[in-house]
Formats: sequence, C-alpha cells, structure tokens
Amino acid sequence: MSNVSLVITAAAGSAAAIAGGALPAKTRVWAAVVLTWGSCIAALFGALAVLHTGQSLVLNSSQILPLTGVTMVLDPLGAVFVVVTAVVAIASTLYWLGYASHGLSTRTTSAALPLFVTSMLLVPMAGSVATFLVLWELMALASLVLVLVDHRRSEETRSAAQWYAVMTHVGAATILFALVLLSAHAGDQTFAAIRVHARHLPGVVRNTAFVLAILGFGSKAGAVPLHVWLPKAHAEAPSPVSALMSGAMVNLGIYGIVLVGDRLLGGGPVWWWLMVTAMGVVSALFGALHAATSTDLKRLLAYSTADNMGLVLIGVGASGMFAASGHRTIAAVAMVAALLLTVNHAAFKGSLFLSAGSVQVATGTRDLDQLGGLMRRMPITGAIFMVGALSIAALPPLNGFVGEWLVFQSLLHGLPTSSTAVAIAIPLGVAALALTGGLTAAAFVKAIGVGFLGRPRSVEAAAAHEVPRSMQLGAGMLAGLCVVLGLAPVIILPALGRAAASAVPGAPLATVRGSVDLHLAGLQGMLAPALLAAGLALAIGGVIALRQLARRRFTPQPALRRTEPWGSGRELQTARMQYTATSFAEPLQQVFDDVVRPDRDLDVSHLAESRYYVEKITYRTSIGDIIEQSIYRPVIRAVRWWGQRVRGLQNGSVHRYLAYGLVALVLILAAIT
Amino acid sequence: MNGPAYASTLELMSGVILVCAVVTLWRRSLSAVVKALAVQGFALGAVALILGIRQHDAVLIVVACLVMASKGAVIPTLLGRVVTSSPTGREASPIVNVPASLVGAAALTFLAYGATQPVVALIPTTAGRFVPLGFATLLIGFFSMVVRRKAVSQIVGLLLVDNGIALVAFLATAGVPLLVELGASLDVLLAVVVLRVLAAQMWSEFGVLDLDQLRELRD
Repeated sequence: MSNVSLVITAAAGSAAAIAGGALPAKTRVWAAVVLTWGSCIAALFGALAVLHTGQSLVLNSSQILPLTGVTMVLDPLGAVFVVVTAVVAIASTLYWLGYASHGLSTRTTSAALPLFVTSMLLVPMAGSVATFLVLWELMALASLVLVLVDHRRSEETRSAAQWYAVMTHVGAATILFALVLLSAHAGDQTFAAIRVHARHLPGVVRNTAFVLAILGFGSKAGAVPLHVWLPKAHAEAPSPVSALMSGAMVNLGIYGIVLVGDRLLGGGPVWWWLMVTAMGVVSALFGALHAATSTDLKRLLAYSTADNMGLVLIGVGASGMFAASGHRTIAAVAMVAALLLTVNHAAFKGSLFLSAGSVQVATGTRDLDQLGGLMRRMPITGAIFMVGALSIAALPPLNGFVGEWLVFQSLLHGLPTSSTAVAIAIPLGVAALALTGGLTAAAFVKAIGVGFLGRPRSVEAAAAHEVPRSMQLGAGMLAGLCVVLGLAPVIILPALGRAAASAVPGAPLATVRGSVDLHLAGLQGMLAPALLAAGLALAIGGVIALRQLARRRFTPQPALRRTEPWGSGRELQTARMQYTATSFAEPLQQVFDDVVRPDRDLDVSHLAESRYYVEKITYRTSIGDIIEQSIYRPVIRAVRWWGQRVRGLQNGSVHRYLAYGLVALVLILAAIT
Repeated sequence: MNGPAYASTLELMSGVILVCAVVTLWRRSLSAVVKALAVQGFALGAVALILGIRQHDAVLIVVACLVMASKGAVIPTLLGRVVTSSPTGREASPIVNVPASLVGAAALTFLAYGATQPVVALIPTTAGRFVPLGFATLLIGFFSMVVRRKAVSQIVGLLLVDNGIALVAFLATAGVPLLVELGASLDVLLAVVVLRVLAAQMWSEFGVLDLDQLRELRD
C-alpha cells in the first residue's frame, strides 16, 4: 500500500521538472515548487511509515530501465536520509520562491532544481546497483547544472563547476567499480543478493570494493583530501542550491559509506574503519581551521560542512570499529550519534546557508569584511543565523549540543572495550573533536561579530534591508527545527535507533531510551535536554536580575555611553577601523601557519620627493587550500603536460591524420601475416 | 561462358582495376587520373557482369549495370567538372614523389597478397583467387589519400578504397545484395557531390585546392 508513496515521489518530482522546464515564466517557479513539495511529502510519508514500523518498502519494475529494471527498497537507514532530504528540500524550495527573482527563475533552473531534489530523495531508496548508479548520476548532473547557473557572472563559478564535475565523476567512477565488482561476484545486481554473497567473498575483493567506495562516497561527503570541490561549488552555487547540497547531498556520501561498509559487506576489519575515522579527524580539523580563517561567508559555511561531515565520519568509523571488535551496542550508539549529527547538520547548515543567501541578496556581497551591522537592519535573518551559529557551535539547548554529546559518550565509553589500535585512535578522535569544537565556535563568533554586529563596512551593507517573507520562512523553518530537536531530541532518537539497528547487524533496537531524559543502552550517560534548557534559562535570567538589582541598589548611575557590540567603542572612529574578519582570524592563522599557508603580499610605495615618506602601504592576504596546491595542482600540471605532448601528434594536417590510419592498418596487416 | 575464358576475363578485369589504381598514383594530371578512375569503374562493372552471367544471376547483372553507370560515368563526370573548373589541374607537388609512390604501391600490393592468404584459402571458387587485387586497390587508395595534396585526389583515393572494397565483396561473396550495393553507391555519390561543393567553396575562398590550407582551421 505505501509503495504508492514511492511512485508518487518519483512521479511528482518528474512532473515538477517538466513543469519547470515547460511552463511560461510567471507560473513556472510556483508550479515547480508545489509539485516538488508533493514529491517531498510523499517521500516523507513513506519514510516515516518505514521508520515507525521498521518494515521496508519494496517496489520492482522491469519497465523503466531497460535490461536491468528498477528495484526500490526503502529501509529504516535510507528513510532517515529521505526525511532529512525532504525537510531541507521543502525549506529550500520555499526560500527559492522569494529568491527566484534573482536570476533563478530560468527554465533550466526550474527544471534542474526539482530533478536534483527528486534524485536525492530516490537515491536512498535504490535497491539495486543499476538503479542506484542511475539516480546517483542524475543527482550529480542536476546539481552540476545548478552550480553553473551563475556562470555568466563570474569566472570563479565556471572554475568551481569544472572542479565539481571532475571530482564528482571520478567519484562516480570509483563507486561504479566498487558496486560492479560486488555485483559481479554476487552474480546479481540487487543489494539483497549482494549482501548474501558478500560474506563469502575473498578478502581482496572486499577490501578493494570498500576502498573504492570510500574514495567515491568520501569525495561526495567532502572528506579531506577529496573535499577540494566542496568549498568552491558550495560557495558559488545559488544559496538554495548550496543549502540543498550542504544539507542533503553530502549526507548521501555518508549514506553510501554506511551502505557499502555496513549493509552490503556486513562490516569489516578494524583498519577499514580506522581509515574512515582518520579521514573524519582530518576533515574535521582541516574544515574547522579553514572555516575559522575564511572571510567569505559562504566559503566559511562550506568548509564548516567538511568539518561536520568529518565529525559524522568519526561516528561512522567508531561504530564500525566497535562492531568489528564485537561491541554491537556501543556500535549502535555511535551510529545513532553519527545519524543525529547528520540530521542536525542538515538543519543548522541549511538555515545558515539560506540566511547567508539572504545576506548576499540584501547586500550583494559575501565578503565578511564588507558587511557589518546587519543584526539591526535584518533582525529576522540575523536571529535565524544566530540560532544556526549557536547550534553549530554545539551550545545547549540547541540540537548541535545533543549530537556532539552523543558522539563523545560513544567514544569515551567505547574506550575501555577496544583493541590497541582503537585505543590509540579514539583519544585522538576525542581530542580532534574538542579542538574542532573550539575552532568552529571561533569561526561563527567571527561570522556573527563581524558580519552581523558592529557597524556596516560598506555602503551596500548600510543600505541592507530585510528579504521577502518566503525566504525568511524557509530559513526560519530549519532554525526552528534546530530549537525543537535541541529541546526534545527524543522525537527522532527512537527512529534513528531503528535505522542504526538496520545498519549495524545484531544491534539492539532501543539504543536510546527515555522521554525527557535520555539513557543510552549499555552506557552510564544520561542527559535531559529540556531540563538543561530550563536550567540555563533560569541561570541566565537570574544573572540578569541580580545585575539589575545590584546596579539599582549599590552604584550611583554613571553617564552611560551606548554603542553597538563589536563596534570597537565608536569614539572618533570610522567603520574601517573596526575588528575585521581577517584580523579576527590572524592569531589562528599565526598558530596554524604551516597548515593554512596564507599568501601575504606587502607593497610599500614611497613619495617621489623623498624615500623616507611612505605614500601608501598595500597589504594583501589570501588563503589557498594547501591540499589543492600540493596534491591536485601537480596532477593537473601532469595531465596538461601530457595533453601538450599528445597535441604534438595533431598538427592540423589532414594528410598526417590519414597517414596515422594507413600506418596503423598496414602494421596490423603486417602483424597478422 | 566456359571455364578458362571465364577465369581469364575475370583476371583481366580485376587486373585492370589494380592497374588503374597504380595509374592514379603515376599520373600527375588530374584529368588523366579521373579518366583512370572511369576505366576502373567500368572494369568493376565488368567483373560484376561476368560473375552475373556465369551464375545466371539477374540481380547481379542489374547491379553491374548500375555500377558501370555510377562509377564509370556519373562520378567521373562530376569530378571532371571540378578538374576543368580549376586552371591548375595538376598534382604539382605530392607529399611523396611519383617514383617513391609507385614503390610504395608495389609494397602495399605485396602486403595485400600476404595478408589475404587466409581469406583466399577460405574461398573455394576461381573468383576468390583475385581477392588480393581488391585489397591492394584499397590500400593504394588509402595511400594516395595520404600522399596527395589536391582535394580531387583525396576523393579519388576514397573512390579507390570504395572500389577495392566492392571488388573484394563481388569476388568473395559472389555479389552483395542489391540494397547494400545501392546504399554504398549512393554514399559515394553523395561524398562526391559534397566534395564538389567544398572544392568550389575552397576555390572561391582561397584560390587553391590544396588541403594544406585547411590547417588554419585547427585552432
């Protein structure tokens, strides 16, 4: 019966894409959005039913894809990702209604956006290799088109799209190899058949398939060192698309790793998962560091996506390591933690990207050093960004806190149960988590302090005003979710527990129990988010009340001078003398000089009359991606060099080309004679 | 037609085809080359005709007539017009000079005989023995495309390749179906028409018919 929801998801999504591509400009966006909502709601129904009952939905059709047919299986693990995608998609498309007038209402966009959403909804439902690969490729292509939407405006966009295209296709190729390898050995291409056969595969095949899958899915999830496309594409894509990519698409990279590692191969040796954890740790640190030193608002958010996906990978890796050493309960807790982080990340990063888009629409820039004072001019967007930022910095009572708490719990409690390698890896992971948390907080203090507080640093920022209602609603919806999930994570934890149980074989169903307070199965930890929030509110209220009392009672009222926070006291100062994003990040840059490698350029020009008087000093600093510089650039240079060599063969002469053909023919004939 | 007469006429006609191919490499005058091509077309038609009469195959005789008409008359006429419309109707400086080309043609003929041994062994009929001639014609056609500069020489090379293939097809299979033969002939006819238009364009644009001028289009 609920198979119908899968059909409706696909049908409404296709209808939305067709409507977006075919209808006239006035109705196009509305029709596409409403139909996309239909698709999302149908998917939500199906996924929630699966999560509620724990029963998978199955749909087979031999008519749609020739040769292989389509197999859709929606299990609890996939359902979590479907729900996340659907919610982010509903919010982003709502936002798109208001954003569309900024060059996002073309036929191409209106067709590609629903296609992108629908393919993301369907990817976790795929039940066979062919279905999965087709949907995966559809998702990659649709998102590539959307990244390119602004290609006329800047060279950067074209370059970002090129990076994205190459990385996503190399990733797709490795995924193809991995899945085809598995299905070839299983003799059947449905996931169910592969799962049955995977147990008896030789170790080499299993290892090869897993490593290839990690490379492909890791690049989609933005794991360092495969992340290079992410800061470029997420920053250059239009904001609703950035929110979708960051809130929904990168998650599917995580889904893929869990799918291949846990579901298809049924878990593996410890070194697999150590590798995943290591990637997670590096991604988390690298992403957080770059987020903290970035001055471009969307680039900051993009790097922070790499950071958060790193945290999720740490959770997934820890879960795998615990499962490999036989501790299935803790493994399930770690998996729940990873899934919760994914859900949270979708909520806060979605709202952050959408509100960053609002800032861009209102001011025309993403450069933090050109912004400032937006909290007063765009109070609602500012509040939404604030909620997202507090949440991503993992402060209670918002949802980010619960997720990180769970990860720490699983890592710390898993420590005594594990082997030597794991016992070394886990404390390192915990340390990385802690450092990452600090860097993330710094990054978002910077974003809020410099971007939203203080005084405007440019005319555009001073003239900013609030964006249309639908954009506020879209971003606000996700920010609201951050609060709800922070106060009452129990509404989703049982579902996540069920999903984790379907991912980790042999894990208990009820991993996290409790209504107001959370108890973890097999662990000592306990948390009551709502009580914690109430306590915090009481404490903060108490401090404020005490201060008021003290001020009234004891001190004579001095002459108060009120200025904006982060406005540097505003005495005889211009807005340019405020603290900037660059100066805020400078100490961090100094400390992590070896990793960040900023490009500094100091240019002093003297007056013509005397060399002792300086006319002006120009100081430029830019931060490149060290991994891009040191790994990818040499590869690109090598490819280009090789291309030039090959070009030497083609000098444009028809005769030479014909001669190649004749020589080849003669050689072959001579060889067979 | 009795056995020895059949075999010797077939051999003669196949030989004429190869000789015509060599002649196109030998002569620099484009009009002479086109004439050699016309003779080759007739010889190819004759091969089909002989086979048709021998096998009492009416369809093959029809095909033979069509081949003679298109390859012996229509295509050479079209090419002849291109040649006469340009005053410098000579292959002035081929990439490989004439003596070397002829040596190359001899080498390619040897190669053709060597390479087709297995094919000849497979075909039991008398006609099968002449398959290497068709192969040699094909290779010489390809070779002439590589070493000649004029656009007309290129299309002549292509036609040699096509005639070589057609000869092999006639000899090896005792005639391809009418439909296939028609299709192939139409293709070649079309190529010649395209070339005629292209050559006229080149002539009005550059004033020469050398393919080297097209090098400019590379970047």
